[in-house]
Amino acid sequence: MSVLRRFLRTPEAIAGAIILAALFAMALSASLFFPGDPQAIAGPALLPPFQDWGLPLGTDRLGRDVLAELFHGSRTSLAVGLAAAAAALVIGAIVGTLAGFAGGLVDEVLMRITDAFQTVPSFLLALAFVSVVGPSLGVVVVAIALGAWTGPARVARAEVLSIRERDYVAGARVIGMHPLEIAFREVLPNALPPVLALSSVIVAAAILTEAALSFLGLGDPNRVTWGGMIAEGRTVLRTAPFLSVIPGVALVLTVLGVYLAGEGVVETTAVRRSLS
Amino acid sequence: MSSPLLAVSGLAKGYHRGGKAIAAVDNVSFAIGPGETLALAGPSGSGKSTIARLVLRLVEPDAGRIAFEGDDFLALNGAALRARRARLQMVFQDPLAAFNPRATVARVLNDPLRIHGIASRAERPRRIVALLERVGLSPNLASRAIHEISGGQRQRVAIARAIATKPSLIVLDEAVSALDVSVRGDILKLLLDLQTKERIAYLFISHDLGVVRAIAHRVVILDAGRITESGDARAVINAPQSAIGRELVAATPKLHRTTAP
Amino acid sequence: MTALLSIRDLSVAYRGNGREALKNINLDVAAGERIAVIGESGSGKSTLALVIAGLLPPSARIEGHIDWQTTEFRSSHSFAPPSVLPEMSGRTEGAKDRQPKFVPLGGRDIGLVFQDPSASLDPVMTVGKQIAEVAHTHLGLDWPQAFARAKTLLERVRLPDPDAAMHAYPHQLSGGQKQRVAIAAAIAASPKLLIADEATSALDTIVQAEIVSLIRQLVAEDGMTLLFISHDIALAAELADRIAVFRHGELVELGTTAQIASAPHHVYTRALLDAHIGLDTEPMLRRAGASV
Repeated sequence: MSVLRRFLRTPEAIAGAIILAALFAMALSASLFFPGDPQAIAGPALLPPFQDWGLPLGTDRLGRDVLAELFHGSRTSLAVGLAAAAAALVIGAIVGTLAGFAGGLVDEVLMRITDAFQTVPSFLLALAFVSVVGPSLGVVVVAIALGAWTGPARVARAEVLSIRERDYVAGARVIGMHPLEIAFREVLPNALPPVLALSSVIVAAAILTEAALSFLGLGDPNRVTWGGMIAEGRTVLRTAPFLSVIPGVALVLTVLGVYLAGEGVVETTAVRRSLS
Repeated sequence: MSSPLLAVSGLAKGYHRGGKAIAAVDNVSFAIGPGETLALAGPSGSGKSTIARLVLRLVEPDAGRIAFEGDDFLALNGAALRARRARLQMVFQDPLAAFNPRATVARVLNDPLRIHGIASRAERPRRIVALLERVGLSPNLASRAIHEISGGQRQRVAIARAIATKPSLIVLDEAVSALDVSVRGDILKLLLDLQTKERIAYLFISHDLGVVRAIAHRVVILDAGRITESGDARAVINAPQSAIGRELVAATPKLHRTTAP
Repeated sequence: MTALLSIRDLSVAYRGNGREALKNINLDVAAGERIAVIGESGSGKSTLALVIAGLLPPSARIEGHIDWQTTEFRSSHSFAPPSVLPEMSGRTEGAKDRQPKFVPLGGRDIGLVFQDPSASLDPVMTVGKQIAEVAHTHLGLDWPQAFARAKTLLERVRLPDPDAAMHAYPHQLSGGQKQRVAIAAAIAASPKLLIADEATSALDTIVQAEIVSLIRQLVAEDGMTLLFISHDIALAAELADRIAVFRHGELVELGTTAQIASAPHHVYTRALLDAHIGLDTEPMLRRAGASV
């Protein structure tokens, strides 16, 4: 049975996949449907949704098209979420592999650094980093990754610790393979599955952190973000709640979609492993 | 005997378990000549596998000396040790566990050729075919994944990997114990053929005295990390002098094929 | 001698690969006999153990049937509920016997010992409790009685210090000791049939010989029937009255141990015997060029 078919057998996975597909479609088609600057004024201010079919979700305080902002905002959320999670997983996997494989002092030093990062709340860390370095897309990605790599590092280390005792690692040493090649070519690929299982949680958390930073005005000022939209709508929450509710719902659905799809993938691979 | 290929003297290794120091290997000395098979036999926990790992520098000894090809093997480190490993290879008991689960046959054989610069990138595929043919496997197997081939084929691939770097000594750690009997005989024949033609010495670790008697020149019998007896394999097994030697012989299943009714 | 169980036209296929693990097996096991099933990997010998014990996964396709000599069991136990292994009776070809069929219960009527005792023992339960649990569940003993029985069993399997072992956890014991505990648990409910599936393969020669002699003694004392599954024809010959040789899921030869060892009919049996390397085998090493 194909992996895809097994994946699509769980309803949660299907729901997650549909949401994610819609999100990617939004992000990819944003400049197709809304070629202009989403931050340009498109009509009268504070037009409620479903009034004007040219502006289906209405406009904000400055008369900007909410739907256009939503589409363009999905790009930021996805880009930051995926990039930050990828960075966190790569850093975590490398640190964890080095610590687990080298052992001794290297392990001790790397794991104490990991502890240090883990004791600081990751959101505060991101907040401090962005306020010092200044907000831009790249900085936000790094800031989020800084607080998220410790989980993957710990999981990778635990996995590497068990793998390095296996015969095939001894075999690689016997044929004279360099320790770094053993660590990254022989051990790491086999330690990855449980680390990758964390990715859905990390992507979801990264999207939320990005939204929170933007909400506090620490997002990239040149891009539309959902967090920024919520913050923007906050001032007119009583008169025009849709301005905060619409990006809020989009955020919730996105995080839910990422999480459900991620669970589906984990479930699918777990079944495959237990079968083999 | 000319100067030994491998000379081990006073080898010791202890472990700590629950605050108690346990000697896994205690003052063990032996030598192997070129093209010779020395068997290490003994019950489980006798230290024979630890000795294999010590000789291969997979584990560092607490005390003792290992001379290999005339050099102090324990003095080698880093790149020098990795380079010398070409001459001292190993075949494991479980051929499935001995390879990266994601590896293909070609990759397994490519690694030693690449690491020791034995063949250029362009020449390696031809070398891999030659190695497969040398161990009696079809070259078509090269593209297969390790987990797709049979246990006997895997052990042949393990032997091919071991001989890829033209070693003078191969440590065989229970290398035929997990194989089906019909496959085991062929693998033993292959090992003997390699020994005759390439003059490879074997450190043959086994708990099976029948197999030891069939292929080893000499045998060392171990118990609780110490050598209790050693000598010509057939002489020792036919008339063991130590208590553990006698026990091992007595415990070996005997097939009485001539006791027909 | 009466047959304890009769296997008729039994075929087993696992889902996934269409290949049959067992093909059309017919085999009678007499009450009280020691029968060895030998074969190499893929011969179906372990599948035979599982199908007899009723432990095949539900997805396995089973054809044919296994008939049990009910009177053999009635003497010691009440009837097993016929609900055990319903798929077996349900799929029996030609459902000629309508009456509820006797199906023995693993653990109570059949004792099982596997290759890896670490895998069959619960790592977080004391050895005494694990054995007592079998007696409590299947013999209906109350806990003090069950623990007393466990202690007796540990003595019978000759563990060095039964009192200490009662409170020990499996990881505190050696491989051979764990296998003794597994045997004690297997015979705790006085089963009629003891199945040992490669029970000594993970052990060294000396411990293997001890376990084999222990099994021989226990089987004789309790009048159990023994199904000894092994890849080692010499070991099987030392223990069994009869030997069944399996290959690729088929029963290729069945005979008394003496006949199989001395006058095998089948080419494969002869090949297995020739492949055996014992202490009297002609050494393969030619000494001509040896320097020693």
